[in-house]
Amino acid sequence: MSDVPEDSAREVATAELAQCRQEIERIDNQIVSLLARRLGLGKRTGELKRAAGLPILDPTREAAVIRRVTAIAREAALPTEPVREIFWQIVGMSRRVQEQTAESP
Amino acid sequence: MIIVTKSDVTDAEIDHIRERIESLGMRTHLSRGERRTIIGCIGDESLLAEVPLRSLPGVESVTPVMKPYKLASREFAVDRTVVRVGGRDGWAEFGGEAIAVIAGPCSVEGRDMLLSAARDVRQAGACMLRGGAFKPRTSPYAFQGLGEQALRLLVEVRAATGLPVVTEVMDTRQVDLVAEHADMLQVGARNMQNFSLLAELGRVRRPILLKRGLSATVKELLMAAEYIMANGNHDVVLCERGIRTYETATRNTLDIAAIPVLKRETHLPVIVDPSHAGGDADLVAPLAFAAIAAGADGLIVEVQPDPERALSDGDQSLPPAAFASLMQSLKAFAAAAGRTVGSPSPARAVA
Repeated sequence: MSDVPEDSAREVATAELAQCRQEIERIDNQIVSLLARRLGLGKRTGELKRAAGLPILDPTREAAVIRRVTAIAREAALPTEPVREIFWQIVGMSRRVQEQTAESP
Repeated sequence: MIIVTKSDVTDAEIDHIRERIESLGMRTHLSRGERRTIIGCIGDESLLAEVPLRSLPGVESVTPVMKPYKLASREFAVDRTVVRVGGRDGWAEFGGEAIAVIAGPCSVEGRDMLLSAARDVRQAGACMLRGGAFKPRTSPYAFQGLGEQALRLLVEVRAATGLPVVTEVMDTRQVDLVAEHADMLQVGARNMQNFSLLAELGRVRRPILLKRGLSATVKELLMAAEYIMANGNHDVVLCERGIRTYETATRNTLDIAAIPVLKRETHLPVIVDPSHAGGDADLVAPLAFAAIAAGADGLIVEVQPDPERALSDGDQSLPPAAFASLMQSLKAFAAAAGRTVGSPSPARAVA
């Protein structure tokens, strides 16, 4: 390739890249702790559903959750299909946590 | 069931249709084209009887898919799927106008041999390199492949030549290791119905080359693809490699008719392996020509710098000169089929 950057430009870019990666790690930490909080709430809803005599599996609610985040993702100009996939995974994790709660009182 | 939406359908209408279907515990798959959008429904279709799908806003038509495969079926996608393989070092595409040719030795037997084979096939116009690391041999006493060492050699040779690499994965325990090294993971004919392996490959973010089993029907091949897709990986390339018949003059019988049948049944790219089908180097060129004439999107050909000394499958491997001549002759057949022969992607500038 023809456009080889000069040494000074390369140093500036390398330094900023390191900063970006640090910021990415901070965000990843937040994502994981938010996931932990979300699953904690899933556990609680599992207990509440059991107390209210409701079934754990609630596809109508799951579909509503997915529809809601699809709209938010679109608003944020994110590609909606990958966001939906991520949230189907999260919804699935939450469902498993609830099922475990229901099985072991 | 597939739902074709009206041309002026809004995002909100699509969201609503999908929510109605997903409320039943089913899943949906969206395929957007320039002129129309298809929503595919996956799951227990009898549930759909409760929903007045035809009268939902934005719905143009509703058609049941009578086939057991859904995600793989032609009806589920507006356009044919183009599978892109590779990345920074170089890439290849399957299912576009250009015919993609994968070539290389049956098994990786050493650095020099692999590098020499890769340079030869690239020079001849192949856009991807094949090479076995783990070999499923009929005899437990035959050469079993170099394993992890071969994977490292494939990565090294990819960097040197810019050719993305495909290699076979035989076991669920190897999936992560192979995916770390190879650009495309091959499921061999003998593993086509290894459902736990297929499910595992569904979770990988690498395209899969799925070879038809020796005695598998077209439907079974598509169900195997469906397994991978249902588990999340939609980048699947199918490969016809000959089936077992009563004929003993050839090692297997190349099922030419399977190519147009697959192209009718699925949106996935279809390639052909003329080397394993015939089991004879003299048959590779005519079978390759027939495959292209029948509409194949690519070929996977065994090329060995020194076929006589190969540790496996020497009989069916082409020497580099014969491969180069095959690639030359292929152009006319591709042109007759309204296609071109793809060129290797430009190699990354090596400093």
